[in-house]
Order: sequence, then C-alpha cells, then structure tokens
Amino acid sequence: MDHVGAQSRAQRGAQSRAQGRAGAEPVPAGANPDSLAALLVQSGRGSAPAFEQLYNQVAGSVFGIALRVVRDPQLAEDVAQEALVDVWRLAPRYRPDAGSARSWILTIAHRRAVDRVRTEQAHRARSQANSVTAAGQSAEPDDVVETMFAEWQAARVRKGFAALTQLQREALELAFYKGYTHREVAESLNVPLGTAKARLRDGLIKLRDMWEVEK
Amino acid sequence: MTESNGADVHALIGPYVVGALSPAEAAEFEAHLAECSACAAEVTSLREVTVTLADAEATPPPASLRSSVMAAIGTTAQVTPGPVETPEVTPVDEVSERRARKMWPRIAVAAASVLVLAAVGIGVGSAYQQRQQTRALEHDVMMVTTAPDAHAMDLGLGQSHLVMSDSMGAVVAMGDNAPMPASGMEYQLWLMMEDGSSHPGPTFMPHSDGEFMTVMSAPMDGVVGVAVTEEPAGGSPAPTGQTVALVHL
Repeated sequence: MDHVGAQSRAQRGAQSRAQGRAGAEPVPAGANPDSLAALLVQSGRGSAPAFEQLYNQVAGSVFGIALRVVRDPQLAEDVAQEALVDVWRLAPRYRPDAGSARSWILTIAHRRAVDRVRTEQAHRARSQANSVTAAGQSAEPDDVVETMFAEWQAARVRKGFAALTQLQREALELAFYKGYTHREVAESLNVPLGTAKARLRDGLIKLRDMWEVEK
Repeated sequence: MTESNGADVHALIGPYVVGALSPAEAAEFEAHLAECSACAAEVTSLREVTVTLADAEATPPPASLRSSVMAAIGTTAQVTPGPVETPEVTPVDEVSERRARKMWPRIAVAAASVLVLAAVGIGVGSAYQQRQQTRALEHDVMMVTTAPDAHAMDLGLGQSHLVMSDSMGAVVAMGDNAPMPASGMEYQLWLMMEDGSSHPGPTFMPHSDGEFMTVMSAPMDGVVGVAVTEEPAGGSPAPTGQTVALVHL
C-alpha cells in the first residue's frame, strides 16, 4: 500500500503536529486500518492535512476501482474526484463501529463508479468509452509499495475467483466490475433472480472465508 | 415480484454489498439493516471482501487528481455528524438517541490517536516513554468509551465531554479548545460523592491548542457529580481552587 510513501510525503510537507505523531512509526496501510480510521475522523472534523494523508492511502484504490468499472481514464478521474470529495463531505458521519474506514471509503467510490457507468450507458456505447486512452496524462509517480500491494491483492483475487463456481464468479464480475443490477445479472446469466441474488451472496461469503483463513 | 418484501429482504444482502440494487431497493435494505443486527454484521464482514477486490485494482492516479481533490475540498462544506444515516427510516426513539450519543466519544477517541495528547503524568521523559504513556492512556480511554454502558455528557471546559462507564469503574474527560489554567496551576478532576465529599482525580494540562484527555479510575457508586478545578501544580487532596466545570449526574 501507499502508506510508506504517505509518511514520507507527510514528513516533507508541513510538519503539522498531527502528521508528526502519526508518522512516528510507518506501518503499511494494509496492516494499519486504525490509522486510516483516525485520519477519516480527523478529516470529518475539517482537517485538510489529515485528508491529504488519507488521500495517500486510498487514492490508488479509489482511482483503480473507478477505472475498472467505467473503463475510461478521464471518466475514472472524474469519478474518483467526486468520490473523494464525497468522502470529505460525508466524513463527519463515518461511524468506526460500523465497519472499517477503508470499506466505507471504497464503498463510496464503487457506488460512484457504478452510478456513472449506469448513467453513461444511457448516453453512449461502452465501446466508445473503451477507445479513449490516457494519452498525455501524467500519472503520480508509481509507488513501488502500492504497486506490490495491489499485485499481491490481485493474486489473492485471482486465486479466490478460481475457487468459486462459474456462476458465482460471473455474477460477481458482472455486478461488481460492470455495475450490473441483480436483475441484469439474472438476465445476462439466464438464471432466476433469486438464484442471482443467492450466488452473489454465497460467492462473497466464500471469498470472505477463504481470505480470513489466510490472515 | 416479491423478492424484496418481507423475510426475503435478507436475500438482498449479496446484491447490496456489491452495489447491484436500485437506489429504492438499497434504501429499503438499509432500513432493514437498521433493525437486523445479523444482516448488519454480515454486510460489515462482506464489505471487507469488496475492499480486497478494489485494492487489487489499485492504479497510480493522474497527478491532477490530487490537486483537483484538494482544491475541491477547500470549497466543499461537510455534513453535520447527525445520527441519521438512512433518512428513509430511523424513527428517533430513545435507543437510537442513546446510540447516537455514544458514537461521539468513540469518534473522538479514534481522532485522538493521531493527535498530541496532553496526557496525565507525562513528566519529562524520553520521547519513547512519552509515546508509551500516551498509548497506555489511549488504551484506557478506549476501554472506557467503548464499554457497553459508556455514556457521554457535556463537560463545559472548552468543547469537551465526559464519558463514564460504571462497569469499567472509570470516567474520561476529553475535548478541545480548553483555555490554559492560570500560571503555575493545573486542572484537576474530582468525583463529587453523595455524602458531600470529593474524590481527588488526576491533574491535567491542555495542549497548546487546547486539546486534553484524562482518565480516572474509581468505583462510580455514590458519585453524584464530576468537577474540574484549578489547583496548584501537582494537585490537591481536596478542591481548593476555582471550579471551571461541573457536571451533575
């Protein structure tokens, strides 16, 4: 994850007291959900420096899931921006006892992406969106730590999906990565709606149980 | 179609977690979640699956994203921390009000973990010792504020509150924007007992930005109030100075 990079950015930035303390012991963000929750709560109290640290930890995943769903880099950047501004706006409502900060943030990002792809589909063919490229855009310096973390997670996902039934896998792919509603999933896979709903749920449960064992 | 009605609402859990419900269905399911702790717990655990799915897609974003986001938040107002998350439901009953009141100390504790804490008993020590002591304090505060019977009250010293837990036998005072006590003085926490006596608690000093946090362990039987006074450095066995905050239980 990006947290090591986040620390160095934080330390070379304005040495706000909060950042100085938070930066005392760099820990990979993936292993330190508490600090992200703290940053989110701080952001909810109006702290822009805390929000920028939060950005360092989540922007890659926010942009990445947006890109996977909407497929178009320009659109993905718009979606990521809307989602991250939503995170800022809604941060005072984050409840640490209702789930991890990361899932709260990435749920917002995923919802935004799905909303966008559903709206966009009404306007133009997906294939057209796919043809747009990222030419001319300069990416943030590729953070080695983040890239490795993403690759590690991607390997887990590949392995996890391989262990699902075909129907579970296809249902999850259509719903999560393509923004299909459960009705569209059922139609597309030619199964009853109840079956589509059940496969989404038991597919998730299977992945959860598999990944919990790994931890 | 009746899938989304009645008992079948449980079946929406998978589609809900992956964002495959229509807005109306999602609202209906969220109403159900507010009342069904089993579903709420399952949603929380399944959401971690979608975190992994999203993290696996992580891609370095364009540099322009950071600047546009940071510029946008400068002109974006935040919502209030109100207890209502699903406007479609949540009748405000006593239970939800109590839950809402309990939220705030937890949030504050989480926030405090990245802040400098003006901790009790932090003398002149190494940075390491200070960090250890701060950690211990945070841990104690977390234990109190997350106790099932924890309840919060306004304290009135800057923007601050008390969190008490009978089961933990402890009270936490924490907040922001507290004024500094007079030179040479410190704040001291007191438990006011029903027999008229006062139990001395720890002394504490706000940080330069007014943030403070302290915790006092004592049986809560017979406690009728909590007070903060200004006392000479090191504290007093009985209150001598000006009372700066007083909460009647």
